[in-house]
Amino acid sequence: MIEFENVTKLYGTVIGVNDISLSLPPGAYGLVGPNGSGKSTLLNMITGQLSPTIGRVRIFEESPIQNARLYRRLGYCPSSEGLYSDVSAIHWVTYLQELGGLSQAQARDAAHDALVQTGLKDVMQRPISTYSRGMRQRVKLAQAIAHNPDLLILDEPFSGLDPIGRNQMTMLLKTWLQEGKSLLLATHVLHEIESLTPAFLLMCGGRLLAAGNSNDVHGLLADVPNRITLCSSTPRPLAALLLEQDLGDAFAIHPDRIVVETQNPGRLFALLPELLKTTDCDVTELHSEDESLNALFSSLMKIHRGER
Amino acid sequence: MSPAGNVLAVIRFELRRACSRGRLLWWVVLAGFPILLTLLIISVPKQSGVEPPREMWATILFLLCPMAVSMLGTFLYAAPAVSVELERKSWAYLAVRPHASTAVMLGKYLVAVLWAGSAACAGLTVSLLIARPDDMGALWWAMVRLIGLSCPAYGAAYLLLGTLFYKRAMIACIAYTLLFELAASFIPAIVNKFTIQFRLRGLFLQWAKIDVSSTDGLLLQLLGNSPPWVHVVILAGYTLVLLILAQIVLRWSEFTIADEATT
Repeated sequence: MIEFENVTKLYGTVIGVNDISLSLPPGAYGLVGPNGSGKSTLLNMITGQLSPTIGRVRIFEESPIQNARLYRRLGYCPSSEGLYSDVSAIHWVTYLQELGGLSQAQARDAAHDALVQTGLKDVMQRPISTYSRGMRQRVKLAQAIAHNPDLLILDEPFSGLDPIGRNQMTMLLKTWLQEGKSLLLATHVLHEIESLTPAFLLMCGGRLLAAGNSNDVHGLLADVPNRITLCSSTPRPLAALLLEQDLGDAFAIHPDRIVVETQNPGRLFALLPELLKTTDCDVTELHSEDESLNALFSSLMKIHRGER
Repeated sequence: MSPAGNVLAVIRFELRRACSRGRLLWWVVLAGFPILLTLLIISVPKQSGVEPPREMWATILFLLCPMAVSMLGTFLYAAPAVSVELERKSWAYLAVRPHASTAVMLGKYLVAVLWAGSAACAGLTVSLLIARPDDMGALWWAMVRLIGLSCPAYGAAYLLLGTLFYKRAMIACIAYTLLFELAASFIPAIVNKFTIQFRLRGLFLQWAKIDVSSTDGLLLQLLGNSPPWVHVVILAGYTLVLLILAQIVLRWSEFTIADEATT
């Protein structure tokens, strides 16, 4: 579906993306990275708005540059708002569908259906200026899905949404994925991706740091120090016990917990229950940063920076 | 839908937006400008008892309608055709649709011509009805034809400049107007023949039947003595070339609203 061959994009002397190679079959992917990491540049190259300085980009085995046929298979929702405030949602989405190649009647029907699908049935005739942020995000999504594309590309679709709006957007995207369509979602908020797909691409500084699912990255982190928090009413004896068993490289002792840094979290998790049985120490809660995509991201960032 | 259908979609969309209160007010201001000046002029001779000659009315209306109103109208609409989409960050929605960027540029250009042309024609018609010069019908027809050439030519020039210098579209267009169309067009040298203004002046003198046979050589260099068809062909050619150049610039430019592009 998406192929990058040694793609580099330069803005003058500034590197937008740096030597990226990847091949993604149809499916759902999260593109994760901090602001300025090159996510939008990558998406702009996928949508043909930018051409690579070096390398080759192929989408559905075609070049995306000035490719009218390919554009009909893509739905794109940029991170910026860019809506006309003085027109209604139905008018604007219809206009964009006409520009996408539909006749006036077809465009109006497609726009109407997409706005209904995104929950804007009752307000689609109102000027966009009267919409809340969440409603405007849904209008953006409606223009991207109205022509029923094969690949939906969303750049920060959750930006500015309140928890209810985020949940509604997640539900909409889950419905989209259940229809067997492909999705590429760029965000810097990791749990938004976790709720939609386990597959992700991690970018930083214009480079692709990792690609795969969270299990793949867990494998990459097998020998990487992990930080584990153990909540306990006996933090000092517990720390001494773990040190004695060589289960930690560094300990931070707090009144109600200890934070352990270890290069072998698996051994710690395996031995801890038996150790607790034989002593008076207790552990009421255990948190490992490594259990979320968030931890994977920060760990990989540290590897990339040479801090580990 | 064909690319022509896309252009029609843009025209429909832009015409609907042109009917907003703000834009209608601008249209009224543009159309009202020659009317207001005509009212001021006719009030002066009536006090002194002297009627202005036909040539004077023709010259004033030429300066106001095919020149000032057409230039200002197309400047306001065509110059920011691309830059306003980039500033509003709506370009990304257009860039990923087949032929949409070209359609938006041409659609906005045609609406600019229609918007400015209609204001100029309305202002001209009312002004003539107020002034009532001799041979009013012929003068109206001459001016309408001049507006029909002036709006497309200036619109194409401003569209190209606005696409080329999209970050400073208005400044580039003002500089072009002042330095080239208003200053260079009055230099009695070969350079003035490249201006739209020179061609329009030449057509005005002939279509409005202004007698310049007694003028000296220097003045003729400013006014030109080519037959009307030469001026018309050159103006139409200018318009076409400028539109093609704007299209080439659009296709070669990588307009992106990504914040990363500037970091």
